[in-house]
Amino acid sequence: MNGFLLPGTNTKIFVFTILLSVLFYSGAATSSDSDHYQSEREKMVTEQIEKRGITDQKVLEAMRKTPRHLFVSQALRGRAYGDYPLAIGEGQTISQPYIVALMTESLRLSENDRVLEIGTGSGYQAAVLAEIVDEVYSIEIKEKLYENSLEVLQEAGYGEVKTRLGDGYFGWEEAAPFDAVMITAAVDHIPPPLLSQLKDGGRLILPLGNPFSYQNLTLVTRQGEDYSVKQVTGVLFVPMTGRALQ
Amino acid sequence: MLLTRVFAIGQWNHLSFMVISIALFGFGASGTFLSILDTRRKGWEKRLSTLEPLKIIVLLYSLTVVAAFMVLNKLPLDYFRLPIEPLQAVYLLLSYLILSVPFFLTGSVISIAFAAFYKSAGMVYFFTMSGSALGAIMPLLLIPFFEEGQLVILFALMPLVFLFVPPGKDMEPVNAKGILLMGAALAIAAIGFYIVFADNGRQVKIVPSPYKALSQMLKFPDTNIDRSVSGIRGRIDIVDSPYIRFAPGLSLKYHERLPKQWAVYQDADSPYIIYDIASSEDMEFAKHSLSFAGYMMAPQLSDVLVLQNTGGAAIVYAMAAEAENITLVEPHPELAKIVSESYFVDVVNSNPREFLAQCRQKYSVIHLESLGPSIPGTAALNQEYSLTVNAFINYLSRLQDNGVIIISGKLLLPPANTIRLYAAAYEALQYAGKKKPEDHMAMLRNWDNFTLIISDTPIKDSEPLTHFAQSMNFDLVYLPTLEKKQVNRFNQFEYPYYYEALQSLRDAYLAGTESRFFKQYVLDIAPQWDNRPYPNRFMKWSQLSELYQSTGSRFYGLLLSGEVVVTVVFVEALFVAFFLLGLPIIFISRGKPKPRAHHLVFFLGIGAGFMFTELYFIKQYIFLFGSPTISFTVVLSAIMIFSGIGGFISQKLNQTHLKWALICLSCLFIGFYLGFSIILETLLGLSTVSRYVTAFLILLPVGLLMGIPFSIGMRLLLETPMDRAYAWATNGCASVLTSIASAQVAISQGIPLIIILAAVAYFLALLGFVKVRGS
Repeated sequence: MNGFLLPGTNTKIFVFTILLSVLFYSGAATSSDSDHYQSEREKMVTEQIEKRGITDQKVLEAMRKTPRHLFVSQALRGRAYGDYPLAIGEGQTISQPYIVALMTESLRLSENDRVLEIGTGSGYQAAVLAEIVDEVYSIEIKEKLYENSLEVLQEAGYGEVKTRLGDGYFGWEEAAPFDAVMITAAVDHIPPPLLSQLKDGGRLILPLGNPFSYQNLTLVTRQGEDYSVKQVTGVLFVPMTGRALQ
Repeated sequence: MLLTRVFAIGQWNHLSFMVISIALFGFGASGTFLSILDTRRKGWEKRLSTLEPLKIIVLLYSLTVVAAFMVLNKLPLDYFRLPIEPLQAVYLLLSYLILSVPFFLTGSVISIAFAAFYKSAGMVYFFTMSGSALGAIMPLLLIPFFEEGQLVILFALMPLVFLFVPPGKDMEPVNAKGILLMGAALAIAAIGFYIVFADNGRQVKIVPSPYKALSQMLKFPDTNIDRSVSGIRGRIDIVDSPYIRFAPGLSLKYHERLPKQWAVYQDADSPYIIYDIASSEDMEFAKHSLSFAGYMMAPQLSDVLVLQNTGGAAIVYAMAAEAENITLVEPHPELAKIVSESYFVDVVNSNPREFLAQCRQKYSVIHLESLGPSIPGTAALNQEYSLTVNAFINYLSRLQDNGVIIISGKLLLPPANTIRLYAAAYEALQYAGKKKPEDHMAMLRNWDNFTLIISDTPIKDSEPLTHFAQSMNFDLVYLPTLEKKQVNRFNQFEYPYYYEALQSLRDAYLAGTESRFFKQYVLDIAPQWDNRPYPNRFMKWSQLSELYQSTGSRFYGLLLSGEVVVTVVFVEALFVAFFLLGLPIIFISRGKPKPRAHHLVFFLGIGAGFMFTELYFIKQYIFLFGSPTISFTVVLSAIMIFSGIGGFISQKLNQTHLKWALICLSCLFIGFYLGFSIILETLLGLSTVSRYVTAFLILLPVGLLMGIPFSIGMRLLLETPMDRAYAWATNGCASVLTSIASAQVAISQGIPLIIILAAVAYFLALLGFVKVRGS
């Protein structure tokens, strides 16, 4: 085997050993929520979320608890707690942690609330919601993502989240009304079926604007038969693809 | 001309402007190249003006046009990624270079002709201009039958015919090289025809920018282009998709279904929606929309005039309001046909301002829907005559007693278009003799749309509007009497920006300090008149830094501003011009005569004067014809034909005539500055044929006079072939610089100033001429 070694062999063996250790370490970390990930999460909450003005303790606690790394692919786990969105396949993304926190906080959730999420994606947002409220419903239009998220949610201990494969544009009629609805894909109008499924006092948050450009994170609140709309901030989400007209 | 159409579909006007302007330097570069050649080889003009070299240049021209077009159409150039992706700068440079090569070759042929046959400069000029005129007219005739890309290739192949023209009596017979060239020409033609016709022209189909609304729509599943039609007023694509859902200003309280819709895209953007209205139920949504408030304000709905710049919902509002007679004016012939087949309304295929100038009828409601382009800022350089103060004066004059004007638009933040429109309406009401213009207006909004209502009579009872806004969850922005607590309730911004801005503007008008208000505002929101018809241009140079920061300090945001792009291009062009004019001077050996400053002034003057004049008329005639392409065609063909004749006549004229031609041009242009707007207004009232003929003939004296200076200058003022090549380079550089400068002048100072600059340029040429003669 010596024939395979090049000059400077000792250094190379050392580097190789280190690399192997790193690989084994990350492999081990995938199966559990290690100290490493917990500390990454703590850092994420402190530096990315709290510093930007999120103050709702329920949201901060949920962000601290939810193992975001389990909702991304093995290859991206090392970057799971970075201050950016990540690809999850099928042309979709898992949102930047701050945006997840901001959208969640904007809904002003209470423990007994029923929340509907449109666009399960990785399942991470549903898991964060499940840390705060009792009932979470989530709809995903892409079959592969639906199946993946179902599996991950169960594995990560969020089996109580009710998921469904379908077009979220029309909401979840049988489970309505909801205290809050969250759309996690860009849409250029506010879907009327989702407004009808809001309770009095219910809130709907969505990225509203050109689905292929930037959008405004918008909070809609139902008060009796009236609706008020409030612009939160500028965001960039992938387009919502449902049959908007049917 | 075809390139402007190609870029209009593929990109936006201001970005195509960037590439085309720089590419036109190819003309000037040919003069530079020949001037340098002169320093190395004397007698080049004789050698290059023989049949064989000219055939090679023609061959190369056809080849490079085909190659340049194919490469450009496939090049992944993305202007918006320029600041973040260095590779894009390489693509941009590549587009400049490949597009300038055909211009370089064309310029070389003309420059060689002037140098070799300078004694017949007038004839050379005549033929050059006649060819250019033909090039301006032919696309107009052929565009209904071919797509833009196909035409570019077909026109590129046309000069190849020259290679098959049999030699004259005193010329050598065709030799082996000649046969080889003919073979090459046939091969290029074969490739060209294959590209044009293979696979139904798919190879040369113009691919719109991914940022254009059509490209974005086509990303949705089950979305197809049903039909595309190319025309002189632009390409339209009719798109069928289950994802089209257009209901601007729809109340959130409306939860019912919308009618089936399809979209017509104009030059791959600005969607125009057609609704499938089968019953009154299909129109129910209109009654829950923002702009319906205007119909509620009209005491009667006998005659409604609908003008839809972009959008398509206004017609449904008028139908839902049960108006007795609805007239829709649509300038695009194909779109007018589609609309008339879709709704039972009178559709007039006309430019709206032309229609208003000619019609004698009065309307109870005039509804203008103008949502603008899909990306704000991209239309900054577009002339738009339906939102000027003059347009509002026209609308008011065509309004019945108690009638109402409704303007529907997209909400922009910071407030810009809303304030400008309020100001335009205010000044039009003042002009119409209304004592308290502020009492004649109302404005409502939701989260992304607004509606401005202008009433012929003061709005005394605002209760119906207030009730409508409350019941539909719309926000009041302006009413003659409105309190702060009534605003920003349903569609909340962190601050009632729109209300505050309009209140401040109203107070400024009442105090007579509106000029100060416009000056202090972060954006240019002063009302636009017909002499500066750029309602989508809001940038202020003095506030550039603030604007840059407010758009997140992202450079690409500035690329959306046409004005910034124009300035960047002008700076680039200045460098290129200095380079092209400086290079020959470097190459000329010591002791040898260098190009003279007086010559430079003379040819810069006439080059700049010519281009300023062309652009002045192109911009002014957009008002007459409602289309940049038609205006471009009319002006270019007329000026080319008449100046060609001027060049032909100049063959028998001398330097004294040249002096008088320059004096006459300067005086004539001052006359145009003083009185042309009145002539334009009058022309708008004429029938189509009379308008076209008169517009064409107005350019007769201008063209004739403009054809004289260059021809005489080439024939009598210059001595050597190098002088003539350098004069050609000078003329080319002046043309490019002035074409860019005139865009900036028009948007910042108004179109009429361009003709004064033309007068000044010809006057400078006169000074240069006097100096040349004196020396």
